[in-house]
This record gives sequence, C-alpha cells and structure tokens, in this order.
Amino acid sequence: MFNKILIANRGEIAVRIIRACKELGATTVAVYSDADRRSLHVALADEAYHIGGSAPSESYLVIDKIIEVAKKSGTQAIHPGFGFLSENEEFAKRCEKEGIVFIGPSAEAIRLMGDKITARKIAQEEKVPLVPGSDGAVTDVEASVVADKIGYPVMIKASAGGGGKGMRLVRDKDKFESSLRMARSEARSSFGDDSVFVERFVEQSRHVEIQIIADTHGNTIHLFERECSIQRRHQKVVEEAPSSAISAKIRKKMGEVAVRIAKAVNYSGAGTVEFIMDQRGNFYFLEMNTRVQVEHPVTEMITGLDIVKWMIRIAAGEELPFKQKEIEMKGWALECRVYAEDPETNFMPSPGLLIYVKAPSGPGIRDDSSIYSGCEITSFYDPMLSKLVVWADNREDAIDKMASALREYVVLGVKTNIGFLIRLMNDEEFRQGKIDTGFIERHPELLTPGTVDLEPALIAAALAVDDIEETVDSDKQPQSNWKLLGRKAALSGGSLI
Amino acid sequence: MTYIFKIKDQVYKIDIEKEKDQTVIQIDGKDIPVEFQKIDDNLYSIILENKSLTIGVSRNGKNLQVFMDGDLYEVEAISERDQRKSPQELSGVQEIRSPMPSRIVKILKEVGDEVEVDEGVIVLEAMKMESELKSPIEGNVTDVLVNEGDSVEAETPLLIVSSK
Repeated sequence: MFNKILIANRGEIAVRIIRACKELGATTVAVYSDADRRSLHVALADEAYHIGGSAPSESYLVIDKIIEVAKKSGTQAIHPGFGFLSENEEFAKRCEKEGIVFIGPSAEAIRLMGDKITARKIAQEEKVPLVPGSDGAVTDVEASVVADKIGYPVMIKASAGGGGKGMRLVRDKDKFESSLRMARSEARSSFGDDSVFVERFVEQSRHVEIQIIADTHGNTIHLFERECSIQRRHQKVVEEAPSSAISAKIRKKMGEVAVRIAKAVNYSGAGTVEFIMDQRGNFYFLEMNTRVQVEHPVTEMITGLDIVKWMIRIAAGEELPFKQKEIEMKGWALECRVYAEDPETNFMPSPGLLIYVKAPSGPGIRDDSSIYSGCEITSFYDPMLSKLVVWADNREDAIDKMASALREYVVLGVKTNIGFLIRLMNDEEFRQGKIDTGFIERHPELLTPGTVDLEPALIAAALAVDDIEETVDSDKQPQSNWKLLGRKAALSGGSLI
Repeated sequence: MTYIFKIKDQVYKIDIEKEKDQTVIQIDGKDIPVEFQKIDDNLYSIILENKSLTIGVSRNGKNLQVFMDGDLYEVEAISERDQRKSPQELSGVQEIRSPMPSRIVKILKEVGDEVEVDEGVIVLEAMKMESELKSPIEGNVTDVLVNEGDSVEAETPLLIVSSK
C-alpha cells in the first residue's frame, strides 16, 4: 500500500478520496488554486500545496505543476478524481515516466476509450450493439449528409466529449448548421478538440450504465447497473441503483458486455460502461468512462463495496478477493446532485457565497459534499454543492427517504435545485419509474414552487428583520470593533476578507 | 413594527406585536399568533398552531433571502415611503446583461438587426457551459457593447434592444 497519495482534484470528490486514503493509512497531499484556499479538501488533507490561478487551465489542468508537487512531497501515487486530468492520456503517461503510480487505468486504455470514435470501433469488434451514426469524425458537409441519411432527430457529439459538453440534439434540418457550430465551439473550449460525430437520437431513451472493477491480475467484474435517466442539459441530476427498467436477464447480458469491453482494452481500476436503452429494452453502447464516476456512491450503497478504496488497492497491485458470483446487490440507492443553479432560468449556474448550510442526516443518508457555511461557490468550477445519497429496502422507500432528507436541507446565499428535487421525488410518473432522458423537459411544472403558502416565509422574514433592529437598538454597551465589523460584513452579505 | 415585503411581485404588509409571552403577527390585516425560537443566526423554528416549521433567513442589505421547503425566496423589504412611488413603466429599451462572470463566445446580432422575443442574441460561456442570452422584447439591436472573446463581470451590459 502507498504511504503518500496526492489528490489532483478539488471539491467533494477530493474530500471523498482524502477520506478513503486516510482510512487506508496513507498521508494525503492536496493541491489548490487561488480560489480554493478556503476549500474543504485543503483543510482535510495532511499536506496542501498551492499550484496557481483560479482558472483550471492555470492550476488543476497543469500537469507540470502537479508532478512538481508530487515529487517535492514524496508522493507515490496520484488519484485524479473525475474531470480535470482524470481522463488525460498524457498525464497518465507522465506519471508513469516519473515513477509515480496513476490511480486509474493505463494510458493506453484512456487513449482507446477517450476517443469516442475509437471506442465505437472497439465495441463494434466486440459485437456490442451501437446506435446508427457516422463512421468517425466528420466535416461540416459530411455531418449534414450523415444526418440526412440516418434521419432526424440526430445527436451531434464531440469526439473528446463528456459530461454533456459539446453535445447538441437537433430535431430539424434547418437548425443543424447552428447546432453544429455551437457543438464545435463548446468542444474546442472544453477539450481543445473540435472534432464531432453524428448519431441517431434514440427517442425516450434511458441511460443505464455498468460499473466495472478490474485488477491487474486478470480479474474483471461488474458491480451491476446504475440508471441515470434524469438529466438536464445532458447532465445527470438523479441516479439510482439498480434500474427499474431492466430484468435480471438484461442485467446479466449488459454486465457481460461491459466486462468484455473492459477486457478488450486491458482495463484496470474502476470504470463505467454507459449504454443508451430504448423503450423496448434494446441497449446500445454509448461510451466508457475511464475514471471514478460522480454517481459511484449508489453502487457502493447496494453492494457494500468502497469503490474509491478498491481503486487505490488495485493501483497498489492488490488482487480482488471476490469473484463475480460473490457480488450481491441489496436494496435500493438514490443520489440527487444538489447544484447551485436556478431551475427557473433553465438551470443557470448561481455562484456566490453560501451564507448558511445545514445538511440532512439520519439512518441510510449519506451527504458527499465539500460545502460549509461561509464557503464560496465560484464561477471557475462546476456548481455542484453536494451529492445526497440514500439507501432503503426498495425504490419506493428510497424515494420517500430522499424526499424527507431533501426537506431537511437548508442553503442560504445562492439558488439551488433542492425544491425542484423535492417536487421530482413526489412526482407520480417518477415514482412509477416512467423515466427517460427527456423527463425534465416534459415536466416544466417541477421547476417552480407553484402555489405555495408564503405566510411562514413572511413571518420568518419579519422576525429576522425585527430581531436585527432590536439587537442594534439594545446594543448600548461599548463593544469590540471586530464585532461591529463582522456584523457590517454579515449585513452586506460579504466576508471580512 | 410594520414591514412591507415584496415576494415574487406580490406586496404584503406585516405587523409585529410583541407582548410578554407571545408575539402576534398580522399579515394584511389577519392576526396570526406565533411561537418562535431562533436556533442560530440564520435558522428559525416557528410554531404556527402546533405546526412546526424550520425556516432559514439571511439578510443582504435591505433585502432578505428566505429558504423554505427546498426553495429560496428573495424578499424585498420596502419602506413605506418607497411604496407610494408608482412602479416604473417598462421602457421599450432593454439592456441585456451578463448573468454571471463569463466569456463572450459569439455575438449573433449586429446593430440594426431585427430580433424577436426569445431570439438568441449572444452566446456566453461560464462554468464551462455555453448558453444563449435571448432578447426579452421584439425590436432592433441598437447597440453592441462587447466584443467576441471578451471576459465580462456579472451584470455587465452587453447589448441593447429597442422596440420599434
């Protein structure tokens, strides 16, 4: 096992990894940008190194700086988390060259799966079903020809894409050109590569993915599926395990297909094979994510396995002590991503100071977050505040538990999607499992509170104003200037710094 | 004390009457007995006819944020003097501003171009996401105040649309 591990990430996933490292007895090394000095991952780690400016391109994406810290601190292994350098082949290669273990698959596996067009070819060779589309990256003219051939609606996707970036759904031919331009430009700014491909859009599709775990001794197993069909702007918002859409038979088949794909690229560590499924239960290979997934906790909840710890143990050369048939799933897990964003304005990010945070707790409730009262959500990074995860015996109980836990959350300072998530948990169609990737678009009524009795809100507001004025009136004794300054800062919504 | 609050364009008048053991709140003339405890700086436990509610409140200058059942409400505190002023009529000139710090990816309209309601005028990138700002009115673009590639702060005027 490693003595010292560097976490090349920030936010809740850095916190999650730091905790796993500590439990395994490793010293943890955090890196941070200008904007993250006060972030929780810095406070929780044993060592912390400043690596540059707030923009990811000046810090978390700079390979040289991270390698420099790794060497200076005597780090043996680097966990990249998700996003940033986690699926960067060059970074994995560089680690290898410097004699540092990259906690993840080989650079070669990242390369093969990172390029969606190559990944499609591998899937084809493995006889895995694929959605009809272009054979690789296309020019603007080719793209339009392919779109005409496979028929609208079509999906334009960035070859280097992920997380919904550089992706556009086109329903009508006359919107194709502008969508193609947007997809290319977003792909260029997100991945530095504007090549795209075109695929048929599967109507009312569900997103189901298989968690893979593989060691370096030839053992590759799957940890069942997760369903991530509740999405906005092609990004997942609610994930669950298992999926209510698949039978034991399809589960087995999907798991075997995923294992085959992982073995085809000699995969090691944790990875996810994503599928798109139509309403009849046909599934098609979408892509493989060669890193820990945001929604990994739901799989941990139903299998009882700690995926992040296994990633670290596998990277240290340990052999998986269990076989496929020994893996069991129990109960139902749900995850809601709590975002600083406003559902009423098309989920526009809502950065700012978190004046106050109170997270839910209770049996079967897990809150993976890195927020606290007084922390700042900057516009430099993803606006995810927390991943609220629950576990219960069955889907219905898990949804009830989630609704109840969400109602315990209090976040002041920025707009969040918590109210939307509560309404979603109470939606009859959602509860019946009638979900697909277009669910949110079809349910605009969930975006706003609707008719609400505002009396309690007005009462609370009046009590708060009254209380502040009373305190100011009764402050007759001389008091510390620090207190006065603090109160002024609090009233203007700022901080002392 | 009397307070006037505005939530979602609706104005409410609230009176607080504190007696020895009880606080009575009057909303638009209706009496509501309230039992409350402040749990910490931003959290109130309120009991209304034995119904227990936990509500978050924070104050930002003259405005408040109230968090209730997962939703955040912006509450504008209006002084009685402000209330007498007539609400300003929406003019036919609309300034389109950046909602947050962002980069201008593309300007879709030039000065003189006609735009329709909800037609995209500018593409912004923030938090690695691109989004299109739309015109709230029908009219003509009368001024473009930024260039493609510019980085702008929140609330920066970007483009002006005037109705015909």
